[in-house]
Amino acid sequence: MITNVLSAIGGVGVFGVISICLFFVVFTGALLWALGLPAGFLRTMGDLPLADEGTPATINGDSHHE
Amino acid sequence: MNAAATTKPPANSPPRATGVVESFAYDNRIVRAFAIATVIWGVVGMSAGLLAAIQLFFPEANLNLQFVTFGRLRPLHTNAVIFAFIGNAMFMGIYYSLQRLCKARMFSDLLSKINFWGWNAIIVSAAITLPLGFTSSKEYAELEWPIDIAITLIWVVFTVNLLGTIIKRREKHIYVAIWFYIATALTVAVLHIVNSLEVPVTFWKSYSVYAGVQDALVQWWYGHNAVAFFLTTPFLGMMYYFLPKAADRPVFSYRLSIIHFWALIFVYIWAGPHHLLFTALPDWAQSLGMVFSLMLIAPSWGGMLNGLLTLRGAWDKVRQDPMLKFMVVAVTAYGMATLEGPMLAIKSVNSLSHYTDWTIAHVHTGALGWNGFITFSMLYYLIPRLYQTKLWSVKLANYHFWIALLGMMFYVVPMYASGITQGLMWKQFTADGFLQYPNFLETVLQIVPMYRLRAIGGSLYILGTLLMAFNLWRTARAGVFLPEQAAQAASWRTQEAHTAPGPWGHRVLEGKPMLLAVLALVAILIGGVVELVPMFLIKENVPTIASVKPYTALEVLGRDIYIREGCVGCHSQMIRPFRSETERYGEYSKAGEFVYDHPFLWGSKRTGPDLHRIGGKYPDAWHYNHMDDPRSMSSGSIMPRYPWLLTQTLETNSLPARISALRKVGVPYPAGYEDKALAELQAQAAKVVTNLKVGAIKAEPDKDIIALIAYLQRLGTDIKANPAAPTTPATPVKTAQAGAAAPAAAN
Repeated sequence: MITNVLSAIGGVGVFGVISICLFFVVFTGALLWALGLPAGFLRTMGDLPLADEGTPATINGDSHHE
Repeated sequence: MNAAATTKPPANSPPRATGVVESFAYDNRIVRAFAIATVIWGVVGMSAGLLAAIQLFFPEANLNLQFVTFGRLRPLHTNAVIFAFIGNAMFMGIYYSLQRLCKARMFSDLLSKINFWGWNAIIVSAAITLPLGFTSSKEYAELEWPIDIAITLIWVVFTVNLLGTIIKRREKHIYVAIWFYIATALTVAVLHIVNSLEVPVTFWKSYSVYAGVQDALVQWWYGHNAVAFFLTTPFLGMMYYFLPKAADRPVFSYRLSIIHFWALIFVYIWAGPHHLLFTALPDWAQSLGMVFSLMLIAPSWGGMLNGLLTLRGAWDKVRQDPMLKFMVVAVTAYGMATLEGPMLAIKSVNSLSHYTDWTIAHVHTGALGWNGFITFSMLYYLIPRLYQTKLWSVKLANYHFWIALLGMMFYVVPMYASGITQGLMWKQFTADGFLQYPNFLETVLQIVPMYRLRAIGGSLYILGTLLMAFNLWRTARAGVFLPEQAAQAASWRTQEAHTAPGPWGHRVLEGKPMLLAVLALVAILIGGVVELVPMFLIKENVPTIASVKPYTALEVLGRDIYIREGCVGCHSQMIRPFRSETERYGEYSKAGEFVYDHPFLWGSKRTGPDLHRIGGKYPDAWHYNHMDDPRSMSSGSIMPRYPWLLTQTLETNSLPARISALRKVGVPYPAGYEDKALAELQAQAAKVVTNLKVGAIKAEPDKDIIALIAYLQRLGTDIKANPAAPTTPATPVKTAQAGAAAPAAAN
């Protein structure tokens, strides 16, 4: 069944090769780029959510109920 | 859009903020609106799921109402949970975090309101149309074409609002959470549009432009990536925002989060074919899906570990803060589900798990554990802040946590046991080489106790959600809502200098968020295009099976009733090439048999047996009695009764429009066939009625059941016909007539 479908597609084997190549290039590129980012910049980026607003003191600590 | 007042920078402003500080306000109203909708739809969606679950061991729970029978209820449950509960939660989290990460109010209050009311109007329309049987039958894309268009429009509104906010942001750097939001907006748009291409018949009926194998590949390219880009990427973005906020420390590794993002969006898009292993889909596509599914473990676990390690040194907070408890379990469930998913994508594992409750357990680990718990976590975080108060009861939130966790366990563990048990029973042979359990029903009755346990698990989960709703309501009552949260920030554009401008690559992307959006889009399109292009080649190259003919007019209507009743939710039409399946069901399914199936109806779950070779297996009278009361023919069956099919009159007014629409999507009905279709339909219906008389059944020819029987008797019979036989016509006109003759002969 599966072979019947496959064998009728000319040059279909190259799709798998293209896929893996594309994945490898993009993933490796992203990896190298990320690994090369300076530590200070990464610290700044990581701190962004913590700097976006002040947390009202009233919401910390115990609940009303207990 | 809101104008922001400008002031001189305060004395205590950050050193790099040397520009003019602007005063503005975050829009909390839209966040609250989505939060309320999240809770309400959560209860509704879960309750629909519970009712469906109960029907699996107590079919009478449908009260013999067609509107709440399992086949119609299941898509209602999945749509309500995915798009209503989780969808509203997604918007809630994005609208809250995006404003704060961008240091800007949403781009447009009007667009925010249109997003909220439009999205929830879509959900209401789904809640009305699905029980009425208006469905495309494509999983997680069941809604009919007018609603599909509405979804597209509202999604465009959301995307414009999202990108507009990013463009007008005051914070120069685009945090990784926003990257995930951008990928979500763009990819869901592409997936929805491509998968929803259909030709309308009436206002509530359409046919997919794709057929058979092509439709299956597009559907599961969509279905899998809906999981990826609707249920995963936005919530990963929220994890990267809310987890550091709650833990009061930055994410463990921002570098890892970047790798996580690019690897995830690139790999995820390829994995869809793992839903179609051992089907008639080409082997290369199956293998591609399997390999990329395995590769998904790396980015998924990278993200999970990044989340959990963010709590390093802060685990004491997890003990005290229920919000963090939910978050930790959510991230852990994400890790479990993303390990299990690739395992299930391995062909040998999939041969056992597919069509069983194992898949149900897997998706509920994700839905209940990952999406549910992270949503609860966000709600516990947000509501006290929106109402400027403390959570009304931490103790009650802790009860919710343990009840929901227990509920999840009671849900998934029985489903694992059920899935593995039934999968093994299907494949078990005796020493003499016969099927050990040839009667499918035997394998169902074995797992009914698991269905009961599952319902208990679901009940506990809903109980926990109700406790949360009560707790949040009391919290809101105790506080004062803050609709406009004042904030101040200097726009990065007006700053004279930046102490941390960022490296080149980041600078380019952040200076041009649209470029980032395009790159993300390219990343997801590569996988889609490479997989879908061969699909169109297949259309040209699959050797058609000469004896496979278009459905007759009566069978077309019968098939549409099959779709309306949601039969595909419990019955597959895809016999895999295993001896255990060919022994049980007959010849394995071939791609060429589905070339006129708009949409495909392969299904993904066998609560009942496969039906692809059901044609001719039983007499018409058996089907008639079985649909009236399944237990009268199969003692102990858990299939619901369909008595309304025996009394409801077959709707034939739209028959010409249906024929015409099918011709438009490629079914070779000859010109003018519409004019004689009704007469042909009546002739075939008369034959079915005659056959029923043999079984001592007096039936009227214009009832739904007649069309359904005609369709069922046609299923899988075409390849049994001899294409060289003199009765086989050469022209499309006669082709349709021959199709009509086939079931009659089988009868």
